[in-house]
Amino acid sequence: MESKTHIGVRDLNVWYGPIKVLNHITMDIPDKKITAIIGPSGCGKTTFLKSLNRLIELQDQIKLSGQVLVDGENILDPSLEVTHLRKKLGLLLQRPQVLPMSIYDNVAYGPRIHGMKDKKELNELVEKYLKLANLWTEVNNRLYAPASRLSIGQQQRLCLARTLAIEPEVILGDETTSALDPISAQQIEQLLLKLKNRYTIVLVTHNLRQAKRLADYVIFFYLGDVIEHGPAAEFFTKPRYAKTKAYLEGRFIEDFKIDGEVSLKLLDTLEDSSQLQTILHQLEMGKILKILVEGEETVRKVSSSLENEGHSILEVRRLNSTNWEMIVQKQHVSYNI
Amino acid sequence: MNWRTFEERIMKALMIASLCVVIGSLISILLTIVLKGLPAIRWETVSQTPQGGYYIGKEGGILNAILGSLLLGVGATAVAFVVSLPVAFYLNLYLKKNSRFSYTIRFLFDVLYGVPAIVYGTFGFTLMILWGLKASLLAGIMTVAFMIIPVMARGMDEVLKMVPFELKEASWAMGTTPWETATRVIFKQALPGIVTVILLGFGRAIGDAAAVLLTAGFTDSLPNSLLRPVATLPLAVFFQLATPFPEVQERGYAAAFILTVLILVISLISRILSRQFTRNVVR
Amino acid sequence: MTTRHWKDYLARRIMFLFCSIFLSLGFFMIFMLYQRSKPIFALIPLQDLLFSSNWHPTRGEFGLASFITGTLWVTIIAIAMAVPLSVLTAIYLAEYAPRTLREFLKPLIDLLAGISPVIYGVWGMIAVVPWVRDSLMPFVTERLPSVFPFRSENYTGFSALAGGIVLAIMTFPMIIALVGEVLQGVPFGIKESSLALGATHWQAIKGAVLKRAWPGIIAAIILGLSRALGETMAVLMVAGCSLGNFPKSIFDSAYPLPALIANTYGEMMSVPLYDAAILSAAFILLIVTLLFNMAGWGILLRMERSQL
Repeated sequence: MESKTHIGVRDLNVWYGPIKVLNHITMDIPDKKITAIIGPSGCGKTTFLKSLNRLIELQDQIKLSGQVLVDGENILDPSLEVTHLRKKLGLLLQRPQVLPMSIYDNVAYGPRIHGMKDKKELNELVEKYLKLANLWTEVNNRLYAPASRLSIGQQQRLCLARTLAIEPEVILGDETTSALDPISAQQIEQLLLKLKNRYTIVLVTHNLRQAKRLADYVIFFYLGDVIEHGPAAEFFTKPRYAKTKAYLEGRFIEDFKIDGEVSLKLLDTLEDSSQLQTILHQLEMGKILKILVEGEETVRKVSSSLENEGHSILEVRRLNSTNWEMIVQKQHVSYNI
Repeated sequence: MNWRTFEERIMKALMIASLCVVIGSLISILLTIVLKGLPAIRWETVSQTPQGGYYIGKEGGILNAILGSLLLGVGATAVAFVVSLPVAFYLNLYLKKNSRFSYTIRFLFDVLYGVPAIVYGTFGFTLMILWGLKASLLAGIMTVAFMIIPVMARGMDEVLKMVPFELKEASWAMGTTPWETATRVIFKQALPGIVTVILLGFGRAIGDAAAVLLTAGFTDSLPNSLLRPVATLPLAVFFQLATPFPEVQERGYAAAFILTVLILVISLISRILSRQFTRNVVR
Repeated sequence: MTTRHWKDYLARRIMFLFCSIFLSLGFFMIFMLYQRSKPIFALIPLQDLLFSSNWHPTRGEFGLASFITGTLWVTIIAIAMAVPLSVLTAIYLAEYAPRTLREFLKPLIDLLAGISPVIYGVWGMIAVVPWVRDSLMPFVTERLPSVFPFRSENYTGFSALAGGIVLAIMTFPMIIALVGEVLQGVPFGIKESSLALGATHWQAIKGAVLKRAWPGIIAAIILGLSRALGETMAVLMVAGCSLGNFPKSIFDSAYPLPALIANTYGEMMSVPLYDAAILSAAFILLIVTLLFNMAGWGILLRMERSQL
């Protein structure tokens, strides 16, 4: 079942000074669904999220390359009006940072900076989005009190209302509940489920259970690479790759010990395919082979043929815009007659 | 281009313009002093005291003021150092970081930091009258010292604050007393920073005119006693510029030049030292 | 107690002593100045001292009004110029300037702080006074109506304006440094959230960062004011300081309080009550700067504390 893509990421690379933090990220984020980005800490999840609305550029020495297409337009283009982008993609941060002003002004801040001045319109907007964020009943009698007096759960809901008030198409969330108590966290989760049908939601979380509860689509990041991504149901029940399985089971993720390496140039010719067979044949059971291929088509063909023979594909990794790396573990010999 | 971008551009332009005014004034001041002062310097300026008729254009130099300022500066800085270092150590070593008491002491020192030089000078002058003393080098040293103590104490406090807590912790964990930690561990770590603060104090001491005017007096002879008046560079500049004779005014510019060069050199050294200091501090 | 502990105990006590000595000297200063100016407070009612402009020491008339007004003129001109320029510069350095530029400019601005006041006075005499006299004043009197802040009979250029300009530059480094620190203290999340909502950089600063930082900026202004009030030498050299002149224009000569003290300290013992009058001027200066400093540092220290 094909779902519409809202955000297309094409070969995104991010450097922090000399260190590369994201490698050749390529994938599509489905429209009007909740996409969860999971993975251990420090693997580039937040960097990825903040690249989508270009907020990552606030940090020193950040360099980006590649394309991020939102509704077909590449938002990494330097001539793009960044403030418009951020109106389309709202970001909810981990620690609720309320602005130093009243509750009303916090929600009205977004619309105001984008030009809305009419008092009546603003009032309606504030009420609408405070209601949507489930905060209205708690604050409608003190709209002009300083926002800093709210509890942390209320503050996060206020930040959500504030983000919704600019009427974005996408909501980006960076560990939005990890700073909250369980009850507030639950409220935020329920809100997000409610909003799913109207907004495309991308959530970064290191909480696997939360991802299972909320996600329609999952992306697994590890050390700057996307290891695996797919619809949630399949992802959690039948993960394809070794590292994903390790992460989901709570095991420590280890690097592969490569026993052999082969490079398949061009498309699979009979020659290449027999070359591959020969090497596999010579390998002992359980040994690991690294295969370098060119082109996504080839990856698919090779994967399916190897899987047909019963070998395990441990990982498929993109090296650059055309080259891929496949890690295969020999399982047993079987001949297709 | 909408109004938001427009606003942003205008504000940015205003900010850069302000920056230019600020930097421009600095450049203008330094340039003026150099252009006016450098040509007026002769060998006699720095090697002789004012001879007879100096103030109407005859021979002489300002050696009296140069030496006087240096002596006063060193003296005042030394006295201020002796008081401000213990104060800074006390605040950082014995008192808990955010105790009410340390907050109060820091506050009081900061408040005294802003008292004008002329008030310190008046205070010194009043004491002198009370005790029947005349204007002297000693009076100048004590008054200026009193004036720069808040400056130096605050500076040293900042320096000591930067010493990472872990260092003190590690030292205490081995069973040393706070005093031993201070002398053996912290002092070494903080030394470049402390020297920077001393230089800062020294710069303030030689540059001040208002306090010394009322307490150190002025004289044409070289400093020879703590109890006699002493000449200082700022006052030399002031008095020479106040005369109607262009030759004497020229010398005033020369004195101003020397004073500025002194201060620039001090700033440069302290800047280099503070960079050294912050490089070695582990955070 | 072992020797080690003794040393420590002693050191601690001595340090505390030094602290106390210094602070007591401070209080003593306030007390002393008050004592010595008491005679004048006893003789002349406070409002005459402050609001009368009759300053004739030999006749026993001690009205400080023209000096207080002179101080106000010079200080207000200085602050009116220094505040916008310094605050804008500080915002630029903290928020817009690339790091290398910032690292380069900060020491330069601090250099302004180290320059001796007399040097400022010299520069004022060479550069500012002639400019006021030869360029600005003729320009203004020709183009603008001869109205309140501008009308003047003083064509020497030694004016409140000259004093204000020099003083403004002297206060730049202080305000810039303080505002810079305050801006650094604003949590990054505030700017980040504002930008995430689609604000331009300036909108984020104006609408969110400054809202958080404004008490600190006010404090910086107060402290700058206090500094400007007390500056003696530089202002003395360029403001004119002519007796019997009540400044009514930026071009009029001004005779600020600190300059009065500096000029008359020598002769104050010669006339009865003259010394008390001058010392009362010093006392007033002291109290005013203390009050301003307490307000300014109070705000700043409280801001620092609430950030912990």
